[in-house]
Amino acid sequence: MSPDSDRARRTGIRERGVRARRRLGTTPARVWLLTTVCAVAIAGLFGSAASTLGQARDGLDVLRRNGPQAEATTELYLALADMDSRVADMLLMGNDRDLRSDREDAQERYEASRRQASEALLQAAALTEDDEVEERNVQAVLEGMGAYEQLAAEARLLNDEAQAPPGQVDEAALRTYRRATWLMHTELLPKAFNLGLDSSAIVRANHEERQEAVGGGLLGVGAVGAVAVAALIGLQLYLRARFRRRVNASLTAATAGTVLLTAGVVLALVTSAGHQRDAKEEGLDAAMALSRAGAIATDMQADESRYLVDRDRADNYQQVYLEQAQQVLFRPASNLEAYYEAVDEVAASYPDLPGPDASDPDDPGTLGYLGQRAKDALLSGQEDALAEVLESYKALQGEDRALRSAAEDGDLAGALDIRMGIAHIEDGAFQTYESALEELIDLHMGAFGEGIERGDAVLEPWTWLLPVGTLLLLVLVVLGVRPRLAEYR
Amino acid sequence: MRSRHRRITAAALAAVAVLGLPACSAVLGEEESLVDATSLTIGVKTDQPGLGLKDENGDITGFDVDVALYIAGRLGVSADDVEFTGVTSADREEKLIDGDVDMVVATYSITPVRKTQVTFGGPYYVAKQDVLVRAEDTGIQGVRDLEGLSVCQGAGSNSAARIAEGLGIGIRKTEEPSYSACIDSLREGGVDAVSTDNLILAGFLAEDPSAFRFVNNPFTDEKYGVGLPYGDVRACEAVNKAISLMYQEGKAKEFLDTWFGETGLQRVESVPQFEGCV
Repeated sequence: MSPDSDRARRTGIRERGVRARRRLGTTPARVWLLTTVCAVAIAGLFGSAASTLGQARDGLDVLRRNGPQAEATTELYLALADMDSRVADMLLMGNDRDLRSDREDAQERYEASRRQASEALLQAAALTEDDEVEERNVQAVLEGMGAYEQLAAEARLLNDEAQAPPGQVDEAALRTYRRATWLMHTELLPKAFNLGLDSSAIVRANHEERQEAVGGGLLGVGAVGAVAVAALIGLQLYLRARFRRRVNASLTAATAGTVLLTAGVVLALVTSAGHQRDAKEEGLDAAMALSRAGAIATDMQADESRYLVDRDRADNYQQVYLEQAQQVLFRPASNLEAYYEAVDEVAASYPDLPGPDASDPDDPGTLGYLGQRAKDALLSGQEDALAEVLESYKALQGEDRALRSAAEDGDLAGALDIRMGIAHIEDGAFQTYESALEELIDLHMGAFGEGIERGDAVLEPWTWLLPVGTLLLLVLVVLGVRPRLAEYR
Repeated sequence: MRSRHRRITAAALAAVAVLGLPACSAVLGEEESLVDATSLTIGVKTDQPGLGLKDENGDITGFDVDVALYIAGRLGVSADDVEFTGVTSADREEKLIDGDVDMVVATYSITPVRKTQVTFGGPYYVAKQDVLVRAEDTGIQGVRDLEGLSVCQGAGSNSAARIAEGLGIGIRKTEEPSYSACIDSLREGGVDAVSTDNLILAGFLAEDPSAFRFVNNPFTDEKYGVGLPYGDVRACEAVNKAISLMYQEGKAKEFLDTWFGETGLQRVESVPQFEGCV
C-alpha cells in the first residue's frame, strides 16, 4: 500500500466520522435516534412481559398436572394399609359359614385396594422419574407388594385348611401373617408414605421455582417499562425544546399507555401468582394433609384387627393405634381411655378447639392432621364439613372403645362383631368417617382447581392485550414523531 | 447462591414497592435454609453409649454422630466443617430455637407437641420402648411380668409411666438422674428392670453384653428425628432424601451393626416412615 493511498484512506475515515457526527448532530438524526430507543424499549417491554406471562402460565400448568399426581401418590399408602387391614379381618372371620358374605366383602375390598395400589404406583413412578432415590423406593414397593400378597395368601390358606373358627386364628397362619404384616409395616408402608411426602416436595419445589422465575421476570418487566417511559419522556422533552411546542399528544398518550401496560402486566402476574399460591396452599396442601389423615386412619384399622388377631402382641398394637390416632388428631393423653375422652371433648367444643386457656396455659392445643391446621385451612362455608369429619372420627373412636372393652372382658366374639360393624362397606363407622373426609378433601381439591382457573383467567386477556397494546404504543410514537420529521423534508 | 437470591429479592421488593403493588412478597425469593450452609453445628448427646458419647480425648462418637455426619455430607458439608456440640434432653429445644445449634441429632423423639416448635427431618430410626433386665432373671419374659417389680427411669422421662398408666401394669417406679445410674442400679440389684428406648438400652448392653438382656417386647414407637429450625422445609426435605439414601446404600445397616451389632437388638434395616416437613 502506498503512503498516498494510506493517507487518502485515513482522510476518508476521518471525513466519514465527521459526517456521521454532523449527521447525528442534526435534529432529525437525534429525533430518529430517540425514536429508535423508544421503539426498542417498547419492544423489550413486550418481550419481557410475554416471556414472564408465559412462565406464569407454565407454572399453573405444572401445578395443574402435578397436583392430582401427588394426590394419587398418597392413595398408595391408603390402598396398602387397607389391604393389610382386610387380610387381618379375613383371618379373624375364619371359616364361619354365617360370616361368608362379610368375608366376600372383605375379599372384594382387598382386590380393589390391590388394584388401586398398582395404579397409584404407576402415578408415583411417573411423578418421580429422574429421581433415583424415589425410583428405587417405587421399585422396592412393587417387589414388596408381590411378597406381601404371597404371604397373605399363604396365611389365609393355612387358616382355611385349619378350619379356624372366628376370632381364633390358626397358629401357623398367624406366624405367616406376622411376617406379612411386618413386611407391610417396615418395608411397604413407610416407603409408600415417603413417596407421598416426596411428591408433595416435588410440587412445592416446582411451584417455588416457577414463582421465583416469575418474580425475577416481574422485576424485568418493571425495569424495562421504566426505561421505556424514561425514553418516551426524553423524546417528548427533546421535541419540546427543539420545536417549541407545548405537548405532543401522541407521545403523552404513548407514555401513559406504557405505564398502564407495565402496571397491568405486573398486576396480572401478581394476582395470578396469588391465585396459584391459594390453589396450592388452601387447595392442594390442605387436601393432601387430609388424605394423610385418611391413610393413617386406614392403617389404624389394621392395628385394630391385629390387636384382635394377635393377642400376644396386643399391647404393642394398641400402643401403635394410639400413636397413629394422635397423628390424626392430637390431644394430650397417655392412654386410650384418656384419648377417647379428649376426642369427645374436641367434637363437642367444635368450632372452638380445646387449647391453652386460663386454667391450663401450657396446653399444647389440638394438633395433628385434623387439628388446628385443618381448621385454619378451612375456606368459608366449610365449617360443617370439618364438623362432620370430627363427629365421625369420634364415632369411630367410640366403636374402638367398645371393641377393646369387649376384648378385655374376654368377649372375643362380641369384639369381632364390633370389628365387622366398623369395617362394613356400606354403613360401617370407618366408611362414614372416610366419606366425611372425602367430602372435605373434595372441597379443598375444588378450591385447588378454582385457584388455577382464576390464575389462568387473569393471564388470559394478556395473550391479545399485550401484542395489541404494544402495537398501539408503537403507532402512537410514530404519529408523535412523523409531523416533526416532515418539517425537515 | 444465597446472597444472589437475597439481592434479587431485595431489588424485586424495591421495584414492587416503587410500583406501589403490595402483597406480593410471597411471589418472590426464597427463605434462608440450612441447605445453603457451608458449615454446620450439630447438637448430639455426650453421655449416651452407642449413640453419642464423649471419650477421654473429647471426641464424640456413636450412631447419632455417624448419622449426623452422613446427612451433613449429603447436604454438601464435609466432616471437617461439622462441629459437634453436646446437648441434653432438657436443653436441645432451646439451643435449636436460639440458633446455638443448626441441627439436633440426639435421640430426639418426634412428638406432635415438639412439632409446633421444631421442624423434624426423618425419623432416621424408629426405636421402640423396651425393658432391660439382668441376664439371669429369666422369669421376666414380657412386659406384663413386671407386675410388682421396680422399674427405673431417667429423670424427666415418661417411659415408666407408659408401662404403669399406658398399659395399666402395677410397677414400682424409681427414678435416677440418668440412665447410666439406672443401669448401675440394675447391675447391683437395686432395681429389677430399666425401661426406655431399645436403642439407648442397646448402647448400654453393648458395653456389657453378658450382664443384661432385653425382654424384647417392644411396645411403643420412638421416632428419632433430625431437629431443624422451625419452618426450614427445604432442609427437611433434603434431610429426608439423605436418610432414604442412607438406607438404600446400606449405610444405616452398617452404622447399626457397628454400634449395636452384638446386642440381640431387633434392628429395622429399612427406611422409616417420615413425618413430613410441613
